[in-house]
Amino acid sequence: MPSATSTNEIELIVERTGGGGGGGSLPPAGGNGGGDGAGGGKKPDKGQPASKRYFTGMAVAIVSILMFFMALASAFLVRKGTSGDWVPVRIPTLLWFNTAVLLVSSGTLELARKRLAKGDGAGFKTYWMLTTILGVAFLIGQLLAWRQLAQQGIYLASNPGSSFFYIFTGAHALHLIGGIAALGYVARKNFSEANVTRPVAAEVTSYYWHFLDALWLFLLALLYLGK
Amino acid sequence: MVSYDDGANSHPSSQTAFLSRVFSTHHKTIGLQYLWLALGSVLVGMVLSALLRVHASWPDTAIPFLAGIDNAPEKYAAMRLLHGSLMVFFVLTAAPQMGFGNFLLPLQIGASEMAFPSLNRLSFWMTFASLAGMISAFFLRADSGVNVWLASASVFCLAALFSAWNFTTTTIELRAPGMTLPRMPVTVWAWFINAILSMLIFSVLLAGCCAVLSDRLLGSDFFSTSAFLANQPQNLVRQASLPILWQRLFWYFAQAEVYVAMLPCFGFTTHLVATFSRKPVWKERLVVLALCGVGVVGFCVWGYHMFATGMNPYAPLVFSVLASSLAVPAAFLLASWLGTLWNGRLRLTTAMLFAIGFISLFVAGGLSGLFLARHDLAKASVSEDFVIGHFHLVMGVAATFAILGALFFWFPKMFGCRLNETLGKAHFWMTFAGVYAIFMPMHWLGLLTQSRLFAEQQRMALAAAGASIRTFVTVATILTVSAQGLFVFNFFHSLLSRKRNGVEQANPWAATTLEWSVASPAPEDNFTGAATAVYRGAYEFHAEAGNDFAPQHLSPEQLTQKRP
Repeated sequence: MPSATSTNEIELIVERTGGGGGGGSLPPAGGNGGGDGAGGGKKPDKGQPASKRYFTGMAVAIVSILMFFMALASAFLVRKGTSGDWVPVRIPTLLWFNTAVLLVSSGTLELARKRLAKGDGAGFKTYWMLTTILGVAFLIGQLLAWRQLAQQGIYLASNPGSSFFYIFTGAHALHLIGGIAALGYVARKNFSEANVTRPVAAEVTSYYWHFLDALWLFLLALLYLGK
Repeated sequence: MVSYDDGANSHPSSQTAFLSRVFSTHHKTIGLQYLWLALGSVLVGMVLSALLRVHASWPDTAIPFLAGIDNAPEKYAAMRLLHGSLMVFFVLTAAPQMGFGNFLLPLQIGASEMAFPSLNRLSFWMTFASLAGMISAFFLRADSGVNVWLASASVFCLAALFSAWNFTTTTIELRAPGMTLPRMPVTVWAWFINAILSMLIFSVLLAGCCAVLSDRLLGSDFFSTSAFLANQPQNLVRQASLPILWQRLFWYFAQAEVYVAMLPCFGFTTHLVATFSRKPVWKERLVVLALCGVGVVGFCVWGYHMFATGMNPYAPLVFSVLASSLAVPAAFLLASWLGTLWNGRLRLTTAMLFAIGFISLFVAGGLSGLFLARHDLAKASVSEDFVIGHFHLVMGVAATFAILGALFFWFPKMFGCRLNETLGKAHFWMTFAGVYAIFMPMHWLGLLTQSRLFAEQQRMALAAAGASIRTFVTVATILTVSAQGLFVFNFFHSLLSRKRNGVEQANPWAATTLEWSVASPAPEDNFTGAATAVYRGAYEFHAEAGNDFAPQHLSPEQLTQKRP
């Protein structure tokens, strides 16, 4: 079976070059790669850059993350409306400060992207780093807020009101850690060989970051108004 | 284990080659891995169902190998849970969407790979971990077993979400030039709609699982029974004796999960019926709209639950109306299948038989669903056996028929050989008769147990009839499960003897879609340097032409050259 073995070898070669690289090594977009020469001139050209998939993928991911929080939010409303054991959590003042930090970080992220678009690499690095630091500061602020609550004797298991407070802030913080990881990835990764450019990666990351920002405002409003 | 040939072992660095094949990012390898996983799960799940039936019919008999069952009710419950988890998660969700979808979606839209191959690999191995977790949960003590099960379910949710993102992005971004939305095969539409539905509902199950785990491990109180009941009006408390909120969160997911399992099967059936009737899909646009309708209504039945708090008296009515309205897209689909079959030049291959079997089971199971959608009827006349009969017929068995049809159809593209048609047909008829013999009497059983209105004498007679029906069902189950040995034999025999049978044609079924434009089995890089452009819709079968079908990838000039 000569044909079968040659298929095998090709497969092995392809997998060895393509499969080992972890996250970055994606093959070129299907259909746009090799086929332009043959097959008659009638082909409609879509002209889409290969990076467009990352925007779509991010949009799709944002929708399902939103759905996750909506499920919790509706559980929050149902649980609060139908039970007698609800004790609302008084929101620590620190949370307002954290919120301001997160909002500012969205601004610095946009400033960084502006610098990048102008080709100012050093300015990009500065603002991008500032964004990361603000993100970490927000997380530390959330931890401090948890400690403040714990000092008042309000824990996850105290009552449903506090359970929801901790699960909302905790789940949001987990997603934000992912965002910080993405910021670090975009800052450190060498994009010269990948088929994604730094501006594209920065833009996709910025969508996620702004989404987490808006999500936090929503969760805060829910916790504040829903007490 | 995985792919086309066992030649990897003869390679000098066979160990690394083996690892890179097992942990591959390639969509066809991953698709096959999902299918192997589903095959293993379905075999174990079927054996479990036979054991469950044995226990239901002869509760005094010790079940072989499972001596603990007869004195430990929670072990029996765990066995039911394992059967359900294996079948729903690792067969009905994994095979049609992730298995066939991963293998075929890039091929059918003319792409060389999924949008995010590494994410795809991650999602398969998370599915695998989840399977291992759910199986080990069965062997643990009930208390820790439930925790492990919940954690495994959460991992599965994440895997399903990653997979859904991949499918959605791939379908939107990686279509070949000319593959416009109306030209997409119905299978691709089904996977696409299904992915959108999945990425919404698996998030909800994930949220629910996280909250339950937090209740069980961290002592939080999301799904408290006592506090919840204390606040309810007295007359409602009796109905609401379980943690309602968790049930709701779960059922939002589970209600839509039925459609997650069914949507790709609708796609397969439409595809197979058109190909083997040698006719275009009748009212193709309506079929796509109906698939969207199933997705949207399936989602709304769920979405409605979200806002219903407590026991609103209007709630069952709304639910009824929405659930019944699912009959509308279902009727569209049925009309299209029959319209396509009508006056078709039918080729009754095994794949086609399974597709027609799917239609039969879908109608039979769907009709009893109408009873269940009526909340008043359901309450008055229907017991557990009726419900089990209904959803097994429509969700379990019908979907399995569509999966088997798809397997017989795409087997050449996956492994480069066909399954044996004679064995396949024998297997089809045995299974077809078997599943009706199992699940139709079950409907009767469900109606019989609601016989409290009868006089004492009649009730005794009915109870006696019930016992014999139950035994009949059990014997039928054991026979039907044994008949699957024929399929397993066919599967492995065909695989092992493929070298003797020579090279398979690229397009053995004379089908139109892109995957049949490449060799069988499909080459590693899908469309090796060949132009993948699409010139027409997916189901252009024309009886009048000399060659009765027009493949999607041939330009009009190439097509006229081919036709004398």
